[in-house]
Amino acid sequence: MKPIRTLKISISGVRGVIGDSLSPTLLTRFAESFGTYLNSGKIVVGRDTRTSGEMVKHAVFAGLLATGCPVVDLDICPVPTIQLMVRKLGARGGIAITASHNPVEWNALKLIRSDGCFLNSYQAEELLSIYHQGDYRKARNHEIKAVKKNSQGIPSHLEQILKHYGPVLWKGRRLKVAIDCCNGAGSVMTPELLQALGCDVVSINTTPDGIFPHPPEPVPQNLTDLCQLVKESGADVGFAQDADADRLAIVSEKGTPIGEDNTLALAVKFLLRQEQGTVVTNLSTTQAIDDIAQVFNCRVIRTRIGEVNVTETMKKEKALIGGEGNGGVIFPRINFARDSMVGITLVLHYMALTASPLSTLVEELPRYYFVKHTLPCPSFRVRSFLNSLKEIYFREKLDLTDGLKILRPDSWAHIRSSNTEPIMRIVVEARNEETAQAWAREIIAMMHDE
Amino acid sequence: MNLLKISISGVRGIVGATFTPELVVNFAQAFGTYLESGKILICRDTRPSGAMVRSAVISGLISTGCEVVDLGICPTPSMQLLLTNLNARGGIAISGGHNPEEWNALKFVREDGIYLNALQASELLDVYHQGEFNKVPWNRLFKLRERNDAIEHHLSKLRQNFEWEAIRKRRFRVAVDCCNGACSEMTPRFLEELGCNVVSINDSVQERFPHDPNPTPSNMQQLRALVKASRADIGFAHDADGERLGIVTEQGTPLSEEWTLAIVTEIELSKQPGVVVTNLSTTQAIDEIALRHGGGVIRTPIGQAYVAEMVKEVGAVLGGEGSGGVILPKTQFTHDSFAAIGSILEFLALHQNKVSELVDRIPGFFMIKRNLASSPSAIYASIQELRSSIEFDAKGSTVDLSDGIKLSWPDGWVHIRDSNTESMIRVIAEAREAARAEALADWAQSTLRLEDAHLNDQ
Repeated sequence: MKPIRTLKISISGVRGVIGDSLSPTLLTRFAESFGTYLNSGKIVVGRDTRTSGEMVKHAVFAGLLATGCPVVDLDICPVPTIQLMVRKLGARGGIAITASHNPVEWNALKLIRSDGCFLNSYQAEELLSIYHQGDYRKARNHEIKAVKKNSQGIPSHLEQILKHYGPVLWKGRRLKVAIDCCNGAGSVMTPELLQALGCDVVSINTTPDGIFPHPPEPVPQNLTDLCQLVKESGADVGFAQDADADRLAIVSEKGTPIGEDNTLALAVKFLLRQEQGTVVTNLSTTQAIDDIAQVFNCRVIRTRIGEVNVTETMKKEKALIGGEGNGGVIFPRINFARDSMVGITLVLHYMALTASPLSTLVEELPRYYFVKHTLPCPSFRVRSFLNSLKEIYFREKLDLTDGLKILRPDSWAHIRSSNTEPIMRIVVEARNEETAQAWAREIIAMMHDE
Repeated sequence: MNLLKISISGVRGIVGATFTPELVVNFAQAFGTYLESGKILICRDTRPSGAMVRSAVISGLISTGCEVVDLGICPTPSMQLLLTNLNARGGIAISGGHNPEEWNALKFVREDGIYLNALQASELLDVYHQGEFNKVPWNRLFKLRERNDAIEHHLSKLRQNFEWEAIRKRRFRVAVDCCNGACSEMTPRFLEELGCNVVSINDSVQERFPHDPNPTPSNMQQLRALVKASRADIGFAHDADGERLGIVTEQGTPLSEEWTLAIVTEIELSKQPGVVVTNLSTTQAIDEIALRHGGGVIRTPIGQAYVAEMVKEVGAVLGGEGSGGVILPKTQFTHDSFAAIGSILEFLALHQNKVSELVDRIPGFFMIKRNLASSPSAIYASIQELRSSIEFDAKGSTVDLSDGIKLSWPDGWVHIRDSNTESMIRVIAEAREAARAEALADWAQSTLRLEDAHLNDQ
């Protein structure tokens, strides 16, 4: 079914459906705004494999060139590669052309600043202000720069990872790794990385043609093919990426998805058992992170939802590791971005270090149950909803950083309005499923009463 | 002054002012919508803004479901020739042609290689103004294709059209000025294949234009010096995209751009009597040459599409415009300066002639071209006013109102019209006597009474 309104211009960039709302004119204007905002500096552009990527790319080039920006074209590569290259090339910014985990008919622009992070909400507001005023910088003929193709993205990214982590041996043998790249931006780099890490690779969906064999969000219901591949091939582990290869989902050697939250938990545990450091994650990510950090006597800082909020806090706190519960691992020593390649590397090294099967490592993690709900809620009602919930739970420990989070000893609930849609998101986590479900029902019932 | 011009000659403007990427994207979308998708060839000249315009065109065309084939930097006639060979639906040449470097333009080509005519251009504009463009979903988008064989294909056609061996035997020494434009690669190659000793300047696509790319005598000073210094048999000057050709004789005389068509007309009609098609503003010499060879002249409004369509319709021997553009149907129905070079060198080779001897056979006329720059409102108002006063009193002239106002007397003519490419009135007067031509131009200028006109002699 076609959504009624598909265009979304927000602090997360611009997103829409090809052939419907995301026109080349709009994309060109957005690129002109960005080029104006970055004062005609050098911009690195890359894209995922979507069939619309070429059209979008040229609209972006036209806008950036018109504002006098020199453009570096990485073409198809993972988003974390673009973020890495922005820093490496000393560019003023970058544009990632990807709708990430959204279905194939979507596309979007994600805007990157010179430090490789996405624009924060203030910067995004400034950019939108330029976009809406329409007063773009206009380079004269001789001020227009060229587009330079650059094929160093993936090699540089691999080199950066391999500088820190070498090949793995598990109980003295090579690991067999199954991957599903969803024919997305990770299709080329992921097999190369695994080979460099000394693994035997069995792969599906590694043709970078943008024809997604299943929805590109790496959630359990989209991992059935990978689970089967792991079982049939007897792989030690399976990895799945979304279309732009920032998020990572993992399947154990038994052929079962371990849950997106556990991707970050595994990475955090691997690093903290070797060195002390601060962990940063958002308010809706599993409590397991805190439990792990506590064991190693490390600090966890929680931020608002949104990758840039995590990365900016990590920067300020000089965090060792951070990320999000959706499978996004950020390890600044390698790359200041959610990076599935880094996630894969850390998990494989964790397996090698402990000589344990992946399922054992997952069993050793603190066990929680997650319930996620969404409720339609027009933006003008958000405040009254949250206020009434605050009154009800006023005796408990509350965190008001982003919506409302109620913290109990072994469980928590987080209620906030979405950044992108007119809905409320309700996330509840508890030690067992019944407790989580019961609390979620209680909250939803109260919101219906309101 | 309004620096955007949308006309039969395409859409053109100044980059950094009116010629914005949104405008280009929208025109590409309009063209893709107008042609109902299909295969579209694109090429560009060497202007720095070409990269920006190219991306905007590619994006707009792909979004309407077109299969875009990018030929990169190459002469516009090379694209037009390949287009007909590949049975493509249309083409866009990204080139400001003879305009200064800060300009750029989109020139829209239809499936027969000819530019859109006035009716088609106005249909395209309707699509543009209505703004409802074809939008194609993700699974019906074509991938961009790139080809680099347009020049090779053009050369192989030229090899069939001219007596290659005869030209090779003469071992001409030829000086060329490509203005660092789209001909920079092809022309030296073409001439070397013709056995010429080539002395070329300004043949780097990386460099900026050394002078305005219009091949008029004032822009051929460098070439003139080169011809003299190298003792070349002839000198050729290109505009930025290979449509217009300028000539310098072996004596080092830069010829008026009007003479390019006159010389080729003399050559072609001497081989084969027939019709020559040209526009209302082109020199009267064409008529005298045609008369001498027992041929006829058909005049059309200004604009290459008018001339090209007429050449095709009446089966003319050749066509062209006084701007230096020549159409030789055996090569293709479009301005092609390579075909013009081939025709001239072939004649000089076969007849053991010097180019100055050929020039001696062209009847002498004096032509004055003036450009009166003004605002669009003033331009149309004053032309309108003059038209009504002429209808009242034609001053004993024959009147032609098919494009602007052309008044002809037995001893001379004057043509007053608004430019297709810039916001200005062009006044062109021609007579056997220089004084008479001057007088006609002065009369037109004073009658137009353009308050803010500033004289801009070419």
